[in-house]
Amino acid sequence: MENNVSHALHILEEPVQYMALGFMVLMYIIKISQMLKKPVPPEKAELKGDRVVGAFDSLLNVLKPWSMESTRKNPFFYVEFMIFHIGVALTIGATFFIPLVPVLMTPAVSKVFMLFMGLAFLIGLRRIYRRLTVPEIRIISSPDDFFAITLMTVFFAVGFVAMSMWINGSPDTGWMWIFFLMTTFFLLYVPFSKISHYVLYPFGRINFGRTFGGRGVMNKKVKNSSWNPK
Amino acid sequence: MSEQADKLGAGDERKWPTKPEFTPEMLEEMEKLLPGKLNRVVAASLSGCIHCGMCSDACHYSVSIPEDKTLVPAYKADRFRKWYKSRYDWLGQIFPSFVGARKLDKELADDMYDKLWGACTMCRRCTFNCPMGVDYGMLVRAARGIMQQVGRVPQHLQDTVDTHHNSGNNMAVPRDEFIETMEWIEEELQDEEGCENFKIPVDKKGAQYFLTLNPREPKYYPLTIQASAKVLNAAGVDFTISSRYWDLTNYALFNGYDPDAKEFSMWQVEDVKRLGCEYLLAGECGHGYRSLRWELPNWVGGVPFKITSMMELLAKLVQQGRLKLDKSVWKSHRFTYHDSCNIARSGGIMEEPRIIINAATDDFVEMEHNRENSYCCGGGGGALAMPEFTPRRIAAGKIKADEIKATGADIVLQSCHNCTDQLKEIIEHYHIKAKVMNLAELLAPALVI
Repeated sequence: MENNVSHALHILEEPVQYMALGFMVLMYIIKISQMLKKPVPPEKAELKGDRVVGAFDSLLNVLKPWSMESTRKNPFFYVEFMIFHIGVALTIGATFFIPLVPVLMTPAVSKVFMLFMGLAFLIGLRRIYRRLTVPEIRIISSPDDFFAITLMTVFFAVGFVAMSMWINGSPDTGWMWIFFLMTTFFLLYVPFSKISHYVLYPFGRINFGRTFGGRGVMNKKVKNSSWNPK
Repeated sequence: MSEQADKLGAGDERKWPTKPEFTPEMLEEMEKLLPGKLNRVVAASLSGCIHCGMCSDACHYSVSIPEDKTLVPAYKADRFRKWYKSRYDWLGQIFPSFVGARKLDKELADDMYDKLWGACTMCRRCTFNCPMGVDYGMLVRAARGIMQQVGRVPQHLQDTVDTHHNSGNNMAVPRDEFIETMEWIEEELQDEEGCENFKIPVDKKGAQYFLTLNPREPKYYPLTIQASAKVLNAAGVDFTISSRYWDLTNYALFNGYDPDAKEFSMWQVEDVKRLGCEYLLAGECGHGYRSLRWELPNWVGGVPFKITSMMELLAKLVQQGRLKLDKSVWKSHRFTYHDSCNIARSGGIMEEPRIIINAATDDFVEMEHNRENSYCCGGGGGALAMPEFTPRRIAAGKIKADEIKATGADIVLQSCHNCTDQLKEIIEHYHIKAKVMNLAELLAPALVI
């Protein structure tokens, strides 16, 4: 497919996005470097397991719903989580594929994107409802929590509509304008929002894996444990 | 040996200046202390929570007291996180209320005190159920350390640490009294059939194992020392108990004050070196095991000996066939085992207790949640040393009481003295017909000598 758009929309889709993306990357570099400057607690105890294997295992935790009781007991919640995040990836991906490699966005591929956007939109609505109605979730929710999930949910809806028009041969629509304006806003806003949690995810998971991997709580099958009292 | 050299504990007599409430000066001091507590684990844990609520079912407080939503781990941690965000979160510095940030004031500090001392045992069950890997144990300890340093710490908990600092053990057992107790226990042990030659060697140089004890044992539960000594003797283990730094507890793990944690650890390290032992052997004590095995090497910068525990040693002795056991001794009893959080989840000892138990009995029933998934009994994190929070502690033990009841066991085994006391209290409170025992007490009567 071709992305025949006005010069103005082209500017929004490319140079403006690149600047916003550059800003986001810069903010992330600062955020990550600030975290990396923090001292790592030492580990001088004789280990029972492998800290590196533990860290790697822990990083993959997101793909192993059986590894935590909280996801084991709530498989539906986990499936929602996965679809939602695939929806996030595809929606953001669409904002790059459409202007840069429109040929990739065939009607079939676009429909797959739309499927996930639609499902993610519905899940977003459910998550907003959950945050409003479940007392233990409401009590921990900040305005940013509501704003972030609402923004994402609207983003999915706008993306869905813009993509449906794109499939029908109308790349330059008001919906596409909103879609890319929202993308630009996201790129600028996300580093300051809880949405940037994916940048912190590796830190938390690696910390966890190193600690409990080394102590033999995770990776129980690790061989050659150094523990061997006579 | 001169009297000064014989003095145990620190040279100075200390009474930590505790305060009944937060003052503006204390809040100002806390602001200065915060940056020093932010290592990468704590900082990532303070920044990383996404308020997904997955931790709400993981905490024994929030599960046992569901009507109080402020006991959800994320809410409790947010008392500290709000303050952190007001200083370090970019948006939190500009629009604090938008991201739930809040400057530290007396109300927030009071809330921190209530939730982080009195509603968290640092058991890390929520950590194991957090998709982001937030380490609540480390986060809460950092907050406690800040509050403790300005004097806002539960009095009895701090008294316990002060006593350890002043006396070399947390119950101020004098050295001569301790030696007498060991001699008396040894005599009692030798009175048992077949144990005439059993010894409790004190200060034996070059022994392989340096056995450490919880001060509750010489003070209130000498029979547990007798049971441990009987098992070790029966297996031919070369061990000794120091007359000096035999206390394996380290309540500075709970109050967050690292200089004390390091000091207590260093005394023990020097004592192991003095006797030239190969292993520092942690007795049956949850936080004591974790403190020695996993924290001590970091607090003192490494040690020239190995560190192990009674659970690991006993399991090895069973596997090596060095303990002959008669299961019929316990044939009319059903057992269950409570995994202490510091031994299992934070310590990695999960199968060893089961090896020991299965060697001594045929009727062992697991609780619904066991090993690293075990619920805290409610006695961890120094909770037993905070009487001001006792009603909440007992209420939070309900999930554990329910799980014990469901096993139909009449004996609850465990390897931790804080767990012992808490389990005894909740068993009585929730009307369960069961008694609480440690693993040495399980093995000792079943020994075939």
